[in-house]
Amino acid sequence: MNSHVAPHRSILANAAYGLLNPIPFGFFVAALIFDIIYVRTAGVLWNKGAAWLIVFGLLIAVIPRFVNLAQVWITSRQVARRADKLDFWLNLLAIVAAIFNAFVHSRDAYAVVPAGVWLSVCTVLLLSIGHIVMAVHHSAAKESVHE
Amino acid sequence: MNKIALRSVLVLAFGVLLGACSGKPSYEPAQQSGDAPPLPAARNFLVPPMQVPRYAGWKQGQAPKVAPGLRIEKIASSLMHPRQLYTLPNGDILVVESNGPGSEPVTTPKQLIANKVKNLSGKGAKGGNRITLLRSNGNAGAEWEKHVFIENLHSPFGVQLIGDTLYVANTDAIVKFPYVTGATQITAPGVEFTDLPATINHHWTKALVASPDGSKLYVGVGSNSNITENGIDQEYRRANVLEVDVASASSRIYASGLRNPTGLQIEPHTGKLWAIVNERDEIGADLVPDYLTSVQEGGFYGWPYSYYGQHVDSRVMPQRPDLVAKAIKPDYALGSHVAALGLLFSDTNALPEKYHNGAFVGEHGSWDRSPLSGYSVVHVAFVQGKPVGVPEPIVTGFYSDDESELYGAPVGLAQDKDGALLIADDVGDAVWRVTAASPGTP
Repeated sequence: MNSHVAPHRSILANAAYGLLNPIPFGFFVAALIFDIIYVRTAGVLWNKGAAWLIVFGLLIAVIPRFVNLAQVWITSRQVARRADKLDFWLNLLAIVAAIFNAFVHSRDAYAVVPAGVWLSVCTVLLLSIGHIVMAVHHSAAKESVHE
Repeated sequence: MNKIALRSVLVLAFGVLLGACSGKPSYEPAQQSGDAPPLPAARNFLVPPMQVPRYAGWKQGQAPKVAPGLRIEKIASSLMHPRQLYTLPNGDILVVESNGPGSEPVTTPKQLIANKVKNLSGKGAKGGNRITLLRSNGNAGAEWEKHVFIENLHSPFGVQLIGDTLYVANTDAIVKFPYVTGATQITAPGVEFTDLPATINHHWTKALVASPDGSKLYVGVGSNSNITENGIDQEYRRANVLEVDVASASSRIYASGLRNPTGLQIEPHTGKLWAIVNERDEIGADLVPDYLTSVQEGGFYGWPYSYYGQHVDSRVMPQRPDLVAKAIKPDYALGSHVAALGLLFSDTNALPEKYHNGAFVGEHGSWDRSPLSGYSVVHVAFVQGKPVGVPEPIVTGFYSDDESELYGAPVGLAQDKDGALLIADDVGDAVWRVTAASPGTP
C-alpha cells in the first residue's frame, strides 16, 4: 500500500459505513444461534425470529455494501489493497447466501431445516473470514508503520 | 483466476435459484381425483408455485360459462362478499356475506408479501358481516328481492335452522336467533349458544350442519396454520369437526386431522356426515389434493403429520408415527389446490338427469398453483352413497382465458325450491342460478 497517496474517501460515506456495517453481521450471527436453537427445540418463535433477523440484516446491509462497492472499485481504486478486494468478495458471497436464506426461511415450520441452518453457517463464516482478513491486515499495516 | 471462480459460483447460484422457482404441475386436477390419486414426491421451494389473477369483476351482461344443456342467470348482485347460501323451508334464500376477521397477526416477513399478493384477486375484500335474504318475485330473468336479514355478525359462515331456531356460526361462536316463517328480517339480538375456537383464525370459516334428527350440530373448524408453523399448541381443538349437542350446548371432537373442513353435509341415502377438506400447501403444484370424504366418528385424517393415509409430512416436528399409523385415507380426491369451499348433496333437481344423485362442489381456487385449478363448480356422481368417476365441471369461466383476470369465484351452494342450483360468488359479489337449458328436458 502506498501510504503517501491520500485516500479519496468521503467523510459521510465513511461514517455511514462505520455505523451500519457491523449491524448485519450481528443479525446474521443471532439468526444462526436462533436456527441452532430451533433445530434442537422445534420452538417456532426461534424460526420466525431468525427469518426477521435475516431480512433486516439484508436491508441494513444495502447502504454499507454499496459504499464498500464504490470505495473498493471506484473512488479508492488506487489505494485498495488485496485485503480490501478479498473482503468485498467475501461480503458479496455472504449476502448472496443470506438472500437465498431469506427465501428458505419463508418456508413453513421444519421445512427450513437443514438448508436454512447451512446457509446461516455460510453467511456467518464468510463474514467472519472477511472481518479477520481486515483485522489481521490492519494490524500488520500498523506494525509496519511502527517499525 | 480468483474472480473467474467467484463469478462462476454466482452464475451457478442464480441458476439454482431460478430452477428452484419452477413448480410446474404434471397432472390435470381431474387426473388427481378419485379414491387413489397419484401423488408425486413432496418438494420444498424457495418460492412456492403461485399465480394470482387480478380482480376484474363481472362486466354488464357477462356470466360464468355452463356445461351444455344448462343455463345460468344472476339473481343477486352488489352483495358484500357472499360466501354461503342456505335455503329456508319456505323457499327464501339466506346469503351469508362475510370474510375473515383479519385478526391473524403478521409474525413472519413472508406474510407481509403473501397478504399483498393474495389480495390482488379480490378474495380479501371486506365482508358484510351480515345475512341477506333473497326472495323470488316470480319474474323470470329478474333479480330477486333483497332484504337485510341479520346484521352485525362476526365473520359468519355456517347457517342452520332447527325448528324455529336459526343457528349462525360466527368465527368465534355459534349464536342463535328466533325465526318465524316468512320473516324478512330478524331484529332480536343473537344469543350465544356456544363458543368456538377463535385464536389467530388463520382458517376462519366455521361450517355448520345439523344431524338428520336435529339433535346435534356439526362444526367444521380449520387449522390455525398451513402446517403447524404457528406452533402445535395453537392447534388445540382445531383442524377437526366438532359435535355440539343441541340440548346442552356441550361439545366434543367428532373427528380430527381434517386440515380445513369448509363444507359439511349429510349424505341423503346413508344419513352419514360428509365433508370437503382443503389440504396443505407449498410442497408442490400437485400436492396435496383437496378431498371429499365421509367423516367417521373418532376418525383421524392425518393433518398435520401425514396426508392420504401414511404420506408423512416432514415439515412437522416432533413427528408422530403413532398418529400417522392410524390416519384414515379420505374417500375421494377432488384435485390439487382446487380449494373446495361449498358442498351440496342433491338427489333430484332442475338440472339434467346426469346431475342427479351426487354432490356439487364449489371450488374457489388457490394462489398456490400455476396454471390455475378450481374456480369452478363441479358435480361428483354418487352410486349407493359412494362417489364415482371424475368431477364433472358444470360452471366455469370465472377467470379470463389468459388466466390474468378474475371475474368471480364460486363458494357456497344451495338448491332453491324449484330445484335450481344456486352459487354464491364472493369475488363477483353475486348469486348465480343454474337450471336446465330447456325446462322439462331430462
